[in-house]
Parts: sequence; structure tokens; C-alpha cells
Amino acid sequence: MEEKVLEILEEYCEEALDYVGENMMEEGVIDSFTVINIVSELEDVFDIEIDAKYVVADNFRNKEAIMELVRRLLEEA
Amino acid sequence: METDFCRVIVIGYGKAAGEILKYTADRQADYGYRLEFIEHEIHALSVTRQICEEREIPFSSMPDKRELGAYLEGIREKTLIISASNNYLFPAFLVERENNTIINFHNALLPDYPGRNAPSWVIYKGEEQTGITWHYVTTGVDEGSIIIQKTCEIGPDTKAYELTERLMDLACEGFKECFDTVLSEKAEAKPQIFPPGRRMYRSTEVPGEGFLDLAEDAEKIYRLLRSVDYGKTGVFPPLQTLVEGVRAEVLRYRKVSPEKKKEEAGMLYLPLADGNLLKIKYKSR
Repeated sequence: MEEKVLEILEEYCEEALDYVGENMMEEGVIDSFTVINIVSELEDVFDIEIDAKYVVADNFRNKEAIMELVRRLLEEA
Repeated sequence: METDFCRVIVIGYGKAAGEILKYTADRQADYGYRLEFIEHEIHALSVTRQICEEREIPFSSMPDKRELGAYLEGIREKTLIISASNNYLFPAFLVERENNTIINFHNALLPDYPGRNAPSWVIYKGEEQTGITWHYVTTGVDEGSIIIQKTCEIGPDTKAYELTERLMDLACEGFKECFDTVLSEKAEAKPQIFPPGRRMYRSTEVPGEGFLDLAEDAEKIYRLLRSVDYGKTGVFPPLQTLVEGVRAEVLRYRKVSPEKKKEEAGMLYLPLADGNLLKIKYKSR
């Protein structure tokens, strides 16, 4: 799972791979349009539904937070 | 550089508002105006508050229309109000005040596609080109004189959110080009000439009336899907459809090559003219 998430990030936001902080959005690493692309790709690759309530800055604060979100949704599926 | 405007207020959300806010902050030293930002619509992924904090720009959140109207009405000095991706309709009592000049970014080439969600409508209608318009705000919606326009192409796979992003970039480009002439009140604005039967798109309208008819041509279906695609932002409700007589909700879609076709429940494939397949994931209701 982690490898696939990293592949998606590499495609849509390579900078996110090296980011080590706690808020990619506020620090301008990722913007809302990139988040839309990433969400769309995660849904397709993992066949999960990412409800709008999960599409908040905190779940996209860094690559680990995105992986944690996917892990949680896969467990719930 | 000189201007009679003492105050500049940016109202809006999203990337365009953020970039325009940064630019107007950068230009403050040239003109000496006071700058502030008003958030009227609150978005989960907005970064305008952060920009304001970093640059020490006064920030206010005013989701209530009456509160916002009263606040703006109370301003006495000469003020330029920049409406950037903003859905607040300025009432006549604000537009007609002599100390106010209001400019607005519209995400289409006016006089065509006035109103809401223009990127969706241009995709849905199969337009190959669109653009942005900066115009002065009058009492009529999207009817004021045009300050500047910029155009862009709409690709065969362009989704509404992608086009929206491109238009926001164009809006920033256009804004930077016209900002000095607006501040010096020398912009050569052109009155709009309205075509007969000009249609105003309302926020309650959804392309295809929100229904995906699987009997339609696949290209038209693809246009409809792309036209309402704003990710999870909830601009439009999910499209509804009928699959073999059963009501269903469209979850997502994607253009795929034929070799990627996998038969599974809740998924259907439609052939597109370019040889690819339109994969549609749905949930029966």
C-alpha cells in the first residue's frame, strides 16, 4: 500500500516525497487542486471511497498522514 | 506610482484569491494603500488565512451576507474591492457608492456564460475555448464593462477542476496586467454587448440536470462527467443514473485503455471515439 501511495505522490506532487514537516498545504508544497488529483487516484488504485469529510488539510499534512488515511479506509472497507 | 485609492479589499477564496492577495501585498509599497482580506465562503483547504498571517494582512471571516454588506457600507474612504472567486453578489447600495470601485474575476469569456459554474457549462457544451474576464461590477450580474480577458483551450479530457485551476492562473496573469491601470483609474474598459437570448447560469442548475443517461452518446456522457468533476468539493451532487432499470449513483469515472478493462460488479465500460473506454463506477440505490 505504502509503495502505491508513494507512486501516486511521485506522479502528482514529487515534492511531497521529501517533505518532512507537518503541513504541506500551508507550506505550499501541495494545493487544493493537487489534492483532488491525489484523491481521485487513491480511490481508483485502492478501490475506496474517500468521503469529503476526509478531504481536509490534516489528512494531507504529509505523506505519512495520507498513508494513514488510506490504511484506515482500507480497514473500514 | 500614485493612486487615489486609500484602501484595497480582497474578497474571495481559493488559489486566485491567494495569489491576488500576495500580489496586492507586494504592491502596497508602490502605492501606500491599506490592504485587507475578507473571507466570505469558508473552504476546508483554504490557505488565505495563512497568507494573511505571514504577511500581516488584516483578515476577517464574514460568512453572513448582511454582516459583510454592513461592513462594506461603513467604509468611507476611496476603496478598491477586488472580488476574486467570490460568490457574494454586491448589492446596489454598495455598487453605487461613489467611494467604491469593485472589480470581479469571472471564469468565462463574458458576455458568454455569465453566472455560476461557468467552467462546467463550457465543458458540458463542448466548447473548445474559454477564458477569464476581469470586469467592473455593476448592479447586473456579470454585466459590467470588461477590463481584460484571457483565453485558453479546453482539452478533450479536461475536467472542471482542472479548467478551474487553469482559469485561476489566467485570472492572476490578467490581474497583474491590469492592476496599475485600475488603480490609476485609466483602464480602458469596454462595455459588454449582450447577445440575444443570453442565458444566466444559476447555482442551482446542474449540467444534464444531474442525470447521466447511459443511452446517450459516450462522448456526451464523458463531457457530462468531466463537467461536474470538482473532486470532493461538493459543487454538484453526485450524478444519478439508471443501470438496467435500477437507480444508481455515479461514484467515479476514468478513461482507460481497452486492456485495462476488468469486469466487476458496479462497473461499466463505454467505448469512446479515440479507442479508449470510459470506465464508470456506480453504486445501486
